[in-house]
Amino acid sequence: MIALLLAVPALTGCWDRLEIEDRAVVLGISVDTVPSAGERSEQEITHLSGSYPAPGGTRVRVGVQIALPGRIPLGPGEGGGGGQGPSAKTVWVVDAVGETLDDALMNLQQQISGRLFYGHLRVIVVSEALARQGLENMNDYFRRNSEIRRMAWMMVSSGPALDLMKASPELERVPTLYLMSTMDSAVRMGKFPVNYVGMFWSQSSKRGQEGFLPYVEVKKEQNVEIKGLAYFKNDRMVGFTKPFEIAAYMVVKGLNPAGYRAFVRLGDPERTVMVYATSRRSKIRVSIRNGVPHFHVDIFTELNLEEKVSNELTVNRSEILREIGRQNEKSISIAAEQLIEKTKKNNSDIFGFGEYVRAKVPGYWRKHVRTKENWQKIYPTIQVDLHVHSSIRRIGMKAK
Amino acid sequence: MPPDRKLEAYRHTDLNGSLEDAVRVVNGLLGDNDDFVMRRFHVFGRYPAAMFYYANMVDQASLNTDVLKSLMYAPPRFREEDLNEERLKEVILLDALYFSEVKLESTLATLVEGVLRGQAVVAVEGLDEAFVINTRSIEKRGIDTPATEQVIRGPREGFIEPLGTNLSLLRYRLQSCDLRIKSMEIGRRTQSKVAIVYLEGVAHPDLVQEVQRRLSKIDIEAVLDSGYLEQYIEDNHYSPFPQVQYTERPDKVVANILEGRVALLVDGSPLALVVPTVFNQFYQTVEDYTERFLLMSAIRLARLVALVFSLVFPSLYVSIISFNPELIPTEFAVAVAGGRAGVPFPAIVEVLVMEVSMEVLREATIRLPQQVGGALSIVGVLVVGQAAVAAGFASPITVVIIALTTIGSFATPAYNAALALRLLRFPLVIMAGIFGLYGVMIGLILIANHLLTLKSFGVPYLSPLVPGNYEGMKDLIARAPLWWMKKRFPQIFPVEQDRVGDQTVDQAKEPTNNVLDPLKFKEDRKER
Amino acid sequence: MTSTRQITTMQAAAVLISTIIGVGVLPLPLFAVHTAESGAPLVTFISMLIALVGTILLALLGMRFPDQTIIEYSGSIIGKWPARIGSAMIIAFFAVLTSLTAREFGEVVITAVLQRTPVEVTVIVMLSLAAISSRKDIATFGYIHFFYFPLLLGPVLLIATLSLKNADALNLLPIWGNGNIGIKATIDGILTIASLFQSSFVLTIVIPAMRRPRKALKAAVWGVLISGGLYIIIVIANVSVFGAEETKNLLWPTLELAKATSLPANVLERLDAAFLAVWVTAVFTTLFSTYALTTRELANLFRLRDHGALCFFLLPFVFFLAMLPQNILNMYEVIRNVGQVGLCITIGYPALLLAVAVLRGKRGDRP
Repeated sequence: MIALLLAVPALTGCWDRLEIEDRAVVLGISVDTVPSAGERSEQEITHLSGSYPAPGGTRVRVGVQIALPGRIPLGPGEGGGGGQGPSAKTVWVVDAVGETLDDALMNLQQQISGRLFYGHLRVIVVSEALARQGLENMNDYFRRNSEIRRMAWMMVSSGPALDLMKASPELERVPTLYLMSTMDSAVRMGKFPVNYVGMFWSQSSKRGQEGFLPYVEVKKEQNVEIKGLAYFKNDRMVGFTKPFEIAAYMVVKGLNPAGYRAFVRLGDPERTVMVYATSRRSKIRVSIRNGVPHFHVDIFTELNLEEKVSNELTVNRSEILREIGRQNEKSISIAAEQLIEKTKKNNSDIFGFGEYVRAKVPGYWRKHVRTKENWQKIYPTIQVDLHVHSSIRRIGMKAK
Repeated sequence: MPPDRKLEAYRHTDLNGSLEDAVRVVNGLLGDNDDFVMRRFHVFGRYPAAMFYYANMVDQASLNTDVLKSLMYAPPRFREEDLNEERLKEVILLDALYFSEVKLESTLATLVEGVLRGQAVVAVEGLDEAFVINTRSIEKRGIDTPATEQVIRGPREGFIEPLGTNLSLLRYRLQSCDLRIKSMEIGRRTQSKVAIVYLEGVAHPDLVQEVQRRLSKIDIEAVLDSGYLEQYIEDNHYSPFPQVQYTERPDKVVANILEGRVALLVDGSPLALVVPTVFNQFYQTVEDYTERFLLMSAIRLARLVALVFSLVFPSLYVSIISFNPELIPTEFAVAVAGGRAGVPFPAIVEVLVMEVSMEVLREATIRLPQQVGGALSIVGVLVVGQAAVAAGFASPITVVIIALTTIGSFATPAYNAALALRLLRFPLVIMAGIFGLYGVMIGLILIANHLLTLKSFGVPYLSPLVPGNYEGMKDLIARAPLWWMKKRFPQIFPVEQDRVGDQTVDQAKEPTNNVLDPLKFKEDRKER
Repeated sequence: MTSTRQITTMQAAAVLISTIIGVGVLPLPLFAVHTAESGAPLVTFISMLIALVGTILLALLGMRFPDQTIIEYSGSIIGKWPARIGSAMIIAFFAVLTSLTAREFGEVVITAVLQRTPVEVTVIVMLSLAAISSRKDIATFGYIHFFYFPLLLGPVLLIATLSLKNADALNLLPIWGNGNIGIKATIDGILTIASLFQSSFVLTIVIPAMRRPRKALKAAVWGVLISGGLYIIIVIANVSVFGAEETKNLLWPTLELAKATSLPANVLERLDAAFLAVWVTAVFTTLFSTYALTTRELANLFRLRDHGALCFFLLPFVFFLAMLPQNILNMYEVIRNVGQVGLCITIGYPALLLAVAVLRGKRGDRP
């Protein structure tokens, strides 16, 4: 009986078996907008033109970076085939145009022999133009697809996203992995908060918070630089920050590991030092004053002294360290306030202050806010009080 | 009529005192054999007698000196009346015959059976009973290291074929009055002697009874090896898992008997059977108990891992590669894809073909003589594997997986269990090839369910895991120190529970006595 | 030699736990956040209490008649024909529950892992597995559950602990949610979650086979508490990592949680396929229980000696029922409705029986 049952499926064939070498392992995807007067590369793959109305709107150009089997050698590489230098191609970039994301991917699949496999998708790059238009379509497609992992990185590029797919810097063998390592190292070095696409989605869904993504740019040597945070309102990008403001963000949220370096000036330009944050802590308290949410943010940072500009300043007393600390506090407060103002202008609460209101003063939330739109309206009116405490703990190996 | 029927015809015929009749009957039955000897002689110089025996089955020297000589020559101390006919039987048996094992028998069939078993039968004119003298002596090999179960630390004796020697090996290890050996003869033609060995007062009497009952029901022609018995007494004949353990080591048998199990030995087979058996016996070895517990626990764990490996590794490989490559890290996935790029077959076909070839290779190495066999296995694996990869027939990773699996299956001490797992691998691979990881799980659930229903003489196969039992668990994965395992394995309901005396347990906990402490001696030296 | 009383107290609790923890684990957080957003853990807790009440009723009833199953003693309590109707309802309900569980499981597997396998195949394989295993006797029933139950606890706890590093306590506040839906919908949600516990009805066939029926209450309470605790842990892990809003977007939040988790040092990256594989055993134990319940009680009802043949006979019916829902959302609607109807049956009917039994002074353990 059992044998019979088991034999039946075998007779009809195994449905889902797809050998690993038959899959086109997609490592990275880039999505750009295409001006409507652009290429006539619309093939009638998902619809017949004229019979079914296409969604209209902008078209997208999707590029994928597919790993070439065997070209990414593990270790020293096998006997004969590992003799290729770093300039050998390890990936293959193809692109296609379509009405929506899925449409474009379908068009793409038409050109590729293996079945596109997203199980190892690590990086999704979106162009700024598309981000400003709205990411609803993209978010929806990626959420529905079961192969996508939530630990992939999504980023906004200042230029065409396809360029990032094509960038092949010297340091890494696989460009997508390079992008991924850039982000991961940034996180590890404390230069960027952990923000996988899953977290981005979580943050965007929250009623009292908006999402943000890394904002990157391709530089001359084909390497990629993190230029700041791109902050969103709902699914649209509304602005981006400067790199230093990322530090401000991380400081307000108290995110570790910390790694930002900053200048601190004690009076003259000669008496400038460079400090380096080692850890941060923050405590946010919310209260309602005059019908408006009021936040009291306590920030604690610990720093090390890293560099002195000149010998004008002698660092040999704890007094001096405290002074440096105080100056640092000022500069952090200024930076953080600036960032908050900036986000207020675009109604984008990337800090999640709204979540604090929702969580800690649910009564107020129920009466006045309730929805995401309301919070976006209320956000510019909130008051934030910053109290920064910085202490310089160590000064490296030099005694003064 | 077939011979044993012929013998049966004489089952109720007795000697009638006439020597010639007896000779006629015995010669009629056995005389056709060239190794059968009938020796006529005179007892005490007077009475005609005949001795029947198989020349190659008796100890000739003892036969000559102790039997023939003592019968033919009447020592001077015998008076005339002792040599009279009425007292002849008694005198021969009690005074003259210098032999230890002598019986008196009158039934003809029994006498012939005695000859068949290598005994010498002496029939004397005028006596209605003949003497059956146990002169059986068969060439046997010396006691050697057990070939299939080798240990580093433990006795090097293994069973050999004759039952008597095996029983002696057991007896000297268990010099207890409670050790019982009961024997029966099974097999119509072979009449093989089967011994049931157990410890009275420890083994549950119902268990012994059941074993005897099952054995007595066996009515087959031949019992050539203990394996034949195993197949008749086991609970579930269709299960791939063995419910009876076999071993070549007397110390293992003794250990099991002490637990309350029953051992079966068959004359002519060097493998003893032990019942009842549960699953966790299959990855335990003698060394686990002779070496220290911390280390052996780790090694036992390794063995368990190897066991599981040998079952699931290939199917996991197939399911991950063909169905779920997202489980492995990205760089590795792409590298594997590269390794497989040239191979024409899907992963499952490749794995199946390699597996089958490995099985064939294994069978081949068993048949070959020692010198060639050893080399072939190593060479076979390496060279053939490498050649297959170079030919583009298999990918390197597949070869590695298969090799690890095979090595894992060698690590299982019990050959029959290893066999079961080896064979179960194949359906699992097929399931993996159809359904991926889901198929592997379904297969594993089926196997686990089967194990859970299996019983050996009533003991659930997966004891002490299921049903849970604390005492038994101490020996399950890790081996607890000897002084912790105070009670016997309760699953087989031994009559007597304790193993370790309380004093020993306390002793283990006391601080050690530093006899040769250097500080002590320093003062002594100073005083001198 | 073997008595029919083989199941120990621990095994009984294990039966309960592995039966309750099944396919419902996956969409549970979705139901919970739809009901109360960040109050999801609290709502789960309340549902657990409801389920606890129901199970205690069952245990008390069973302890009163320690040698009989509910089919048998319901007859002596409320009369033969009303009992027959009640029993038929129970059996029908559990047959439907089995089919829905199998179908839900098949849908998850097909959507998340094996995209091109037809759902019929996954369902029939699972149902056949349950049917084959149901033929065995009750002692084996206990063993099987006892054996698998650590395998269920392990991965769930593992995923929960590993995901904690991404957790944000803010997502769990306020504890009772932001009150965005009305009272009726809240009660609706609580009942739906409570219906995930109702396969604890399997207790009715376990008690007659327990070695010490007096301990049934303890086993029942522990069983529901542990499985309820596990549910709550899952909900907490889900909501704290994703936030209530995002969880509403996910059809199977627990699965997504497994996807977002990785073992330290990135040994295995996406754990969801591995998690699904182990969770197959959880679904198997659930299906096994409900299927065994259905066949045994059916055999009881018709006073058949052996339920083995019924196991195969029922298979086509259950399979047919499993294929009825047209699409996945339809299936969830059906599950919700059936679940609520089921609560009446699994809690209401035993309550009725117990009340009548107490009033009429009927007992099965004293002459």
